[in-house]
Amino acid sequence: MERRTFIQGLAALGVLGSLPLPLSSALAADIANPVSVDDLPKLKGDLTLYLGRGEGGLYENVLQAIEKRNPDLNLGIRRGPTAALANTIVAEAKAGVKRADLFWAVDSGAIGLVSDSGLAQPIPGDLSAQLQPQFRYKDWAPVTGRIRTIPYNTSRLSKDQIPTSIMEIADSDLSIGWAPAYASFQSFVTAMRILQGDDKTAKWLKKIKKRAKTYAGELGVVMAVERGEVDIGFANHYYTLRLKSGKPDANLDLAFTQNDAGCLVNASGILALNSDPLATNFMRYLLSKEVQSYLAREAYEIPLVNKVEQPEGLPSLSSIKPPKIDLTQLADLKPTINLMRSNGVL
Amino acid sequence: MRLPISYPMALLAALITLTPVYVLITLASDSSAVFDSHNLTILGNTLSLMGLTVIGSILIGVPLAFISAYVHLPFKKLWLVIFAAPLAIPSYIGAFTLYAAFGSGGEINNLLGFETPAMYGLPGAAIVMTLYTFPFVMMTTRSSLLSLDASMVNAARTLGMSMTQSVFKVILPRVVNGIAAGSLLVALYTLSDFGTPAMMRLDTFTRVIYVEYNAYELGRAAMLSLQLLVIVGFLLLIESQIKTATERHGRALILFPTKWQLGAIFAVFAPILLLAIGLPLIIFFVWLVRDGLSDFDFTIAWNSAYASALAALVAVSVALPVAHAALSGKAGRIMERVTYLGFGIPGIVMGTALVFGGLKLPFLYQTLGLLIIAYMLRFLPLAVGSIRTSTEHLDPSLVKSARVLGASPSEAFKRITLPLTMRGIIAGGALVFLESMRELEATLLLGPTGFETLSTYLWRVYEAGYFGRAAIPGLLLVVISACGLAVMMSGEKRNQFEH
Repeated sequence: MERRTFIQGLAALGVLGSLPLPLSSALAADIANPVSVDDLPKLKGDLTLYLGRGEGGLYENVLQAIEKRNPDLNLGIRRGPTAALANTIVAEAKAGVKRADLFWAVDSGAIGLVSDSGLAQPIPGDLSAQLQPQFRYKDWAPVTGRIRTIPYNTSRLSKDQIPTSIMEIADSDLSIGWAPAYASFQSFVTAMRILQGDDKTAKWLKKIKKRAKTYAGELGVVMAVERGEVDIGFANHYYTLRLKSGKPDANLDLAFTQNDAGCLVNASGILALNSDPLATNFMRYLLSKEVQSYLAREAYEIPLVNKVEQPEGLPSLSSIKPPKIDLTQLADLKPTINLMRSNGVL
Repeated sequence: MRLPISYPMALLAALITLTPVYVLITLASDSSAVFDSHNLTILGNTLSLMGLTVIGSILIGVPLAFISAYVHLPFKKLWLVIFAAPLAIPSYIGAFTLYAAFGSGGEINNLLGFETPAMYGLPGAAIVMTLYTFPFVMMTTRSSLLSLDASMVNAARTLGMSMTQSVFKVILPRVVNGIAAGSLLVALYTLSDFGTPAMMRLDTFTRVIYVEYNAYELGRAAMLSLQLLVIVGFLLLIESQIKTATERHGRALILFPTKWQLGAIFAVFAPILLLAIGLPLIIFFVWLVRDGLSDFDFTIAWNSAYASALAALVAVSVALPVAHAALSGKAGRIMERVTYLGFGIPGIVMGTALVFGGLKLPFLYQTLGLLIIAYMLRFLPLAVGSIRTSTEHLDPSLVKSARVLGASPSEAFKRITLPLTMRGIIAGGALVFLESMRELEATLLLGPTGFETLSTYLWRVYEAGYFGRAAIPGLLLVVISACGLAVMMSGEKRNQFEH
């Protein structure tokens, strides 16, 4: 995705008040208004959802609310690491065993893996019309956006001590917390491979590994940064915002790198593996006004549907310079895993 | 000659046990890389963890065995239970709580204000594994010590040897085999444990197999699994060669410690036991108080109990013919030996193999049935062992009398053998039930969609970082494991009386 398009996309979402008004309204013209759950069709029947976990209780709350609204829906949920579930879906299809109707992944790389294998069903036009133009894909729907960030401990560092280039961080003497097994981190490495090439990425991983402490997830990373176990971390933006909302005096803030993978904008997304309209109707609930604003308000994720407000506490997005990468390119996961493995990171 | 009726069933059980290995070999043959430099690191980590854990367990287990066998203590039985109690805590629960307790920002830091070094990596994993496996060494060494005749020590003392000298020159050399048997159990347990290295972030075979499985590099996962199985097989081979001493029973040695000696014993071992048993319980209660009952869904506990009960039922029904076959002839004994293989297959390996097997058999894939097969394969030997012991003690003349009096073989079995072995059957079933309840890794891979158990829930809470929610499932798992330990120890006591 072009950086400019992305910023324009955010502008149309009402994020960038600073952009000239005609541009915003021009962009907003072909965007449908967010749909309220009250106007959505009732869900009826059996549905199996593969849920790439990592988000704790908030996605669960959304799913529970949907189930509560639709008592005739029998929703089976299989939870697992996002990448593992994506691979499971592909392996199941190869073996001729079909189990999942929907796949909700925390990371678009995993989505791309399934989409590339031709298993995803096309998205109805009116559904993708609710999304920003640059977030419209033919066979999957982004649900929320997330930005790669550098959380840092404010009692040990000031923002200007953190390099604004992700490659330079490898040469700094900062101690680092990371969660290499987490899908978003792996997509970030994929982005780095695309932007910098495999050799530089391998060197980067090796250098970071020497000074990094590994955590199971990125909430763990952010918690470790806050208590000073490490100086900085690599994590999606919302973990920091969530921790700070529960603990406003936390020694924690966000830093951003510029024009590189360190500031990648990624999206969680959902795709249907079953042509039954029940599956696509379920997706409509995730793009509804209520779910989108709940995820923005409670989970601090960036809503991708028009006219839903941006989460509070995220620094002005005009100061962020995300890299030029198309989200679908992030599906190239296998070489990333191999690279991480051969460097002893996984 | 007619074949015993139990042979077909036992043969079937043996063949099913072999399928995971067959699946792994098929999978691994697709893998291009056999062994690379990263493998060497994994092997090194695994063997270091195993070695350190064995050394730690001997350092703690042998003195405790000595104390519980020879030293005159008030409340002797209670102490024995306390020394064995770490077995009642699944090691992944220990790893979870110790990980959460130590380090800056850990619970100890939060509650008491001072910082402790963090628990992770090789030292962390070795400490956790030692804390929860030393009772194996303690128990095997203790039973060897109890079988020794005290007159030897008394003779050595009369001839002028000091007590310390006689411990090292007269007592220990005679219980080496007991120590070795316990150490092997520790080594096997450490090799197959998944939760502890995973939570301590140490790349051992089990952890890396899980990582490869998640990346769906099944060929690599299978290759690593086979490498792990080779090590396990090697240890099992050594185990079969160890013969525990068969000395004539004599007078038991009793030592009366001074107050000072008692104090020293207490000062050394109380902190260890407190760390192993006290700390996890304290942490869980702290979380319980802090987070309240939260919104724990008790259907999770029901899921665990339901699947485990089915597993126990299936395992016992399969174990009966296997145990019968083992007592009927040589071929039967071989079949029984084969089913023991399942016990040596680490859960993560079993899970990987059965996921792939399930893809080939869609009617089983992601069903409760497949999970129960996994439990059955892993814990069948527990049931077989328990049933066999009770049938071995059966006086064969009882069955013969029944036959002389005109009962058919099946009637003799129903009316004589079965009622007399009922105790063993129930104990075997209980063991399978309790082991299945605490099983983590195979459940993680094989559980049907939407099926969460106590252990997988605990794992998910750990991964998401919402530690407070672990309190109720954690405490339930400890209680369940404690019941399992009680069943196992009461069985042992019975055997001691009978000998």
